[in-house]
Amino acid sequence: MIAGSMLSYDGKKRAVLLLIAFGVAVWIGVDAAAGGSAHWSRVLARLPLLLTGSASGWPITGGFALNIILSIASMALATVLGTIMGLATLARFGPIRVPSLLLMNFLRNSPWLVLLFATLYFLPFEMHVFGTTIAFPPFVKAVIGLALPTAANFSEVIRGAVQSIHSGQWEAARSLGYGTGQIYRHVIMPQALRRMITGWMNSYALLMIATALATVTGIQDVLTILNTLLAMENERVIVYFYLTILFLFIAYCYPIAVVARRLERAVKGESL
Amino acid sequence: MFGLDYSWLADPAYQQWLLTGVVNTLNLAALSSAAAILIGMLGALGLTLRIFWLDALIELFVEVFRNTPPLLQMLFAYFTFSNLGLRVTDPSTGLSVPLLSAFACAAISLSLFGGALATEAFRSGIETMPRSIIDAARSLGYGRWARFWRIEAPIATRICLPGLTNILTNLFKTTSQASVITVPELMYYAGQIYNDTFRTLEVMILVLLIYVVLVSILTFAMARLEAFMAFPGYGRGH
Repeated sequence: MIAGSMLSYDGKKRAVLLLIAFGVAVWIGVDAAAGGSAHWSRVLARLPLLLTGSASGWPITGGFALNIILSIASMALATVLGTIMGLATLARFGPIRVPSLLLMNFLRNSPWLVLLFATLYFLPFEMHVFGTTIAFPPFVKAVIGLALPTAANFSEVIRGAVQSIHSGQWEAARSLGYGTGQIYRHVIMPQALRRMITGWMNSYALLMIATALATVTGIQDVLTILNTLLAMENERVIVYFYLTILFLFIAYCYPIAVVARRLERAVKGESL
Repeated sequence: MFGLDYSWLADPAYQQWLLTGVVNTLNLAALSSAAAILIGMLGALGLTLRIFWLDALIELFVEVFRNTPPLLQMLFAYFTFSNLGLRVTDPSTGLSVPLLSAFACAAISLSLFGGALATEAFRSGIETMPRSIIDAARSLGYGRWARFWRIEAPIATRICLPGLTNILTNLFKTTSQASVITVPELMYYAGQIYNDTFRTLEVMILVLLIYVVLVSILTFAMARLEAFMAFPGYGRGH
């Protein structure tokens, strides 16, 4: 009781969460003693395969590592596309602004899975441009299919960040003789970038979670491998495998969410 | 046009499939949205009570469901609930069948996923409520309950609406993933149709358009609701 009263509210909360984590650990131990260890050892034997796509853990050919690679490649593409789209939706020239707004809303309103399927079927197996052949293997299609909705998300983040800069700064820069490009480069972007970081991280976390959908393209991501493995396992083990994969996603995405929230709080105070 | 062949659309069987798919998608979205809003309200209310162990449990729930893929949650529900003992014996055949259908599994996991997002949205709505309003209500002699019901709830609802719109559209879009666990919604029937006709491109374009139109209607309706409920001179109401 004395220890309890010494803890702050957040401290007590953290203690409960630790207690839950401890409880889960105890449950795993009890379950292992009661015959679950055979199940856990099956999961453990398959873990390198689930993580890297090869039974010995090296080289990386798929698995959860492929989900991470896919998310990074997609995010890189989405950042480029999203920046172009975001700035285009801010253009004062109607013929640029209106189509990009329409495109952004179209991408934002369509389901990720349907967009991914659409990319899978829209893009040819390979494309011939001026004598050079560009191949579209399933991985590239997955990167593009996941980058499209993420780019739309991110362009909205850019729009929000740029519009959050007070209009007085535009006027001040204009009166000093800056052109539009110069204002963006020297006045608006340095400030907007700071406010974009959390939005960018949130987009990335959403994208990482969505990489699970890439299993429909047939690449050897963690879900494809899981499904192949489960075909060989008995029914009881399935639960253990699913819990492991759920834990992998939480272990990767939760720290990102925590950092994003901390940054958000740090940026919140500044205005104008 | 553009070499696209939509002659299969004239077939009443395919029309029926598309219609059934849309109806099932709407059912799934409506059911899970309602449940998600309810869960979100309970979760956010639970957080305002400031009971540390309840706070910890709600935070755990939110983080688990927010940081795992909804597709994986649905697969987990679909493949493991029946293994964990949720089975009944079908009286007509005597076979042991799963208690929950694919639709029920999808609805449950979507509700929990949406509920976690909604909890977070409602919580931030309550948190961003200006302190001065609560102080003003207190100085006017409002009691705890009257203050919540007449001052805090109406304002928090309006602050939360834009966030709620995001969550509902997100949830609507996520229902398409239920096709993976064989829930016969729009995306599932799309697969059936192109397996039949081999008109993959045409079917995908049509389905994409249907989803965009449905989600656009939802966002439009929510925008109208926001405008209708906006306080004059507060937030977006000018």
